[in-house]
Amino acid sequence: MSLLSLQHIVKQYGNYRASDDVSFEIPQGKIFGLLGPNGAGKTTLIRMITRILYPDSGTILFNGEVLSDKHTELIGYMPEERGLYKKMKVGEHLVYLGRLKGLSLQKSREHVQFWLQKFQIESWQNKFIEELSKGMSQKIQFIATVLHNPQLLILDEPFSGLDPINSKLIEEEIHAMSAQGKTIIFSTHRMEQVEEICDEIVLVNKGKKILEGSVKELKQRFKENKFRVSFNDEIRADLLDNLNIVEKKPGELTVKFQQEHRGNELLKLFVEQGVEVNSFNEELPSINEIFIRQVENN
Amino acid sequence: MNKIWIIIQREYITRVKRRAFVITTLLAPLGFFMLIFSSFLISTYSQSRTDVAIVDETGLFKDVPIPDAEDHTVYFHKIDQPYEQALKQLPKEKDADAKFQAIVYIPRNFNIDNPGEVQIAYRYMQRPGTSKHDFINSRFTKVIQQMRMKKMNVSNEDMEKIRRDVKLNFESLDNSKESKGYTDAATVAGLIMGFAIYISLFFYGTMIMKGVMEEKTNRIVEVLTSSVKPFQLLMGKIIGIGGVGLTQFILWILLTTAVHFIAIPLFGAHAVANTNLQGANNSIDPDSFQAVWQNLGSLPVFEMMCLCPLYFLGGFLLYGSMFAAIGAAMGEDSDQQSLMIPVTAPIIISIIIAINVLNNPDSNLGFWGSIIPFTSPVVMCALIPFRPVWWQIALSLTFLAAGFVLTTWLAARIYRVGILMYGKKVTLKEMGRWIFAKD
Repeated sequence: MSLLSLQHIVKQYGNYRASDDVSFEIPQGKIFGLLGPNGAGKTTLIRMITRILYPDSGTILFNGEVLSDKHTELIGYMPEERGLYKKMKVGEHLVYLGRLKGLSLQKSREHVQFWLQKFQIESWQNKFIEELSKGMSQKIQFIATVLHNPQLLILDEPFSGLDPINSKLIEEEIHAMSAQGKTIIFSTHRMEQVEEICDEIVLVNKGKKILEGSVKELKQRFKENKFRVSFNDEIRADLLDNLNIVEKKPGELTVKFQQEHRGNELLKLFVEQGVEVNSFNEELPSINEIFIRQVENN
Repeated sequence: MNKIWIIIQREYITRVKRRAFVITTLLAPLGFFMLIFSSFLISTYSQSRTDVAIVDETGLFKDVPIPDAEDHTVYFHKIDQPYEQALKQLPKEKDADAKFQAIVYIPRNFNIDNPGEVQIAYRYMQRPGTSKHDFINSRFTKVIQQMRMKKMNVSNEDMEKIRRDVKLNFESLDNSKESKGYTDAATVAGLIMGFAIYISLFFYGTMIMKGVMEEKTNRIVEVLTSSVKPFQLLMGKIIGIGGVGLTQFILWILLTTAVHFIAIPLFGAHAVANTNLQGANNSIDPDSFQAVWQNLGSLPVFEMMCLCPLYFLGGFLLYGSMFAAIGAAMGEDSDQQSLMIPVTAPIIISIIIAINVLNNPDSNLGFWGSIIPFTSPVVMCALIPFRPVWWQIALSLTFLAAGFVLTTWLAARIYRVGILMYGKKVTLKEMGRWIFAKD
């Protein structure tokens, strides 16, 4: 069952089509990567999901219902360009944002306390936002996004400006939420994070969807039948005659086949020649490579 | 609705709690106090003494007294030296010890019956101020008039009788409370009210604009618009800041009244009147200030207390939303001041109309100025002490309400696009297009 379903979404600004017949499904409880180069139309899509903008045509379904204003309280959005009121105190600011998401004053205060304790930053409560460092206010932004316990979290570059320790903290939090059944849309340029975090991705470029699928499946789909072997001994030159070597280093070879090839057959070739193999693995493309190739082909 | 209320609370509380609010609330009456105090000081100490030598070649003025200025600013000395010699004694630079700083030269062939033909000359090194200039001119006019009277055998007493001023007693028939001096009191009250609305529209309008610009610049607006509608955000901000304005307005009225009561016994009504009437086209003689003060009680205080806050709110809603739209379009790009002109120009025009209308309350300009919603908040507040007819007020309020519904609608259309638009130089034409842009 998908939590969010985008069907033939079109959004046009003058002559420029920011979303061109985009459709995809975001399954419940998954971490979903929304990827694309700058200006691909990611923010426009997110703004339509958060009801900041409205599609010109097409339908967005939330839990099977047509997306409406009542759903905004079930969504937490952390935009890429984010900010807080500098002259407010951390505690009162979070309570305010919680109330705007429909929490009562009482509930909002409780939730703020819960999260400040969880991140062990209760002492920040009476600090003014302007006193916080970038990383600190990033944490506050994250709390503001999850404060009202949303079913759908939309995180646009959530790790920018965070040091590795805090990045890890937020990443763990994202996984924990996913484990609780929350759905997360994750938008980023940093592809290594996508591989680490996302279950499924959709790739958009120039307003169009150009790719979608699970990370695993996409890697399989775009694999180039490359295998890397590393070994201890010298290799007889004639052994390599029939192979298409793409990379050769002392003690390591990368072999590419034209069609899908069974790894075992290649391994057998080495083993039969008495070469002592240290490691053998199939080289799958990184999401980064897929991303660049797809955008360039597009 | 509930969310608008939460936004109103934030906008109101964070501003009222700020030190700047407390300071401006206290300082404005103090500034008013300082204004009175300084005008008192200026009127006391600014009067420098000018000694003027009179070289009379005609001998006509020998026995005619030329009185010095009553306020000790100008002293006349008849001297017996020839003009050329007196000229040499005229100091080149400022010199306190010099016998005189200027010469009035009455040439030999000067004719009192035809003073335009050969003119009296005033020779100086330091230019006299306008008031001294006027004084010397009028003093000689008066003296020469007296000389002519004498020539015609008119006695001083007869002259007094001829010159006696006529003062009309203006009294309204439909209001027994109005008495002599009422018009003056109404003018003072109207001016204060008009200016108060004028200044607050600017002050709080700018506050709204800055608030919107802040939200756009620090990008919190993205977070906010995913929770509430831009219209709710806009209304919350306008009403919240309107509340701040109203609070400050009321505190100012209370504090300024208190200052007034303290200032008058301290510095005298003269100085207070002088400050109040700056810019009032000198239509009121400060001497009649006592009469003005006595008449304040007979002003339609109740109507003023009810209608002025109403006009403030109406005008504030009308202009506030427009300031918000400009703020949304400008964002961090604060060098686009020219976008403000369509909003600030009508406010400035309204105070110009108001000042004119105070001298001429039943003019057409006054009527239309009090009906057109862009000028009515300032103009009508200035007019209320003159008791405009009820249907004029009703018509004006109706138009004002319609006006702010219209501007709020337009502004909200611009605002909703503007707050999410970055890195683009916005023109008025572009803003016009946003009005008709679909969601």
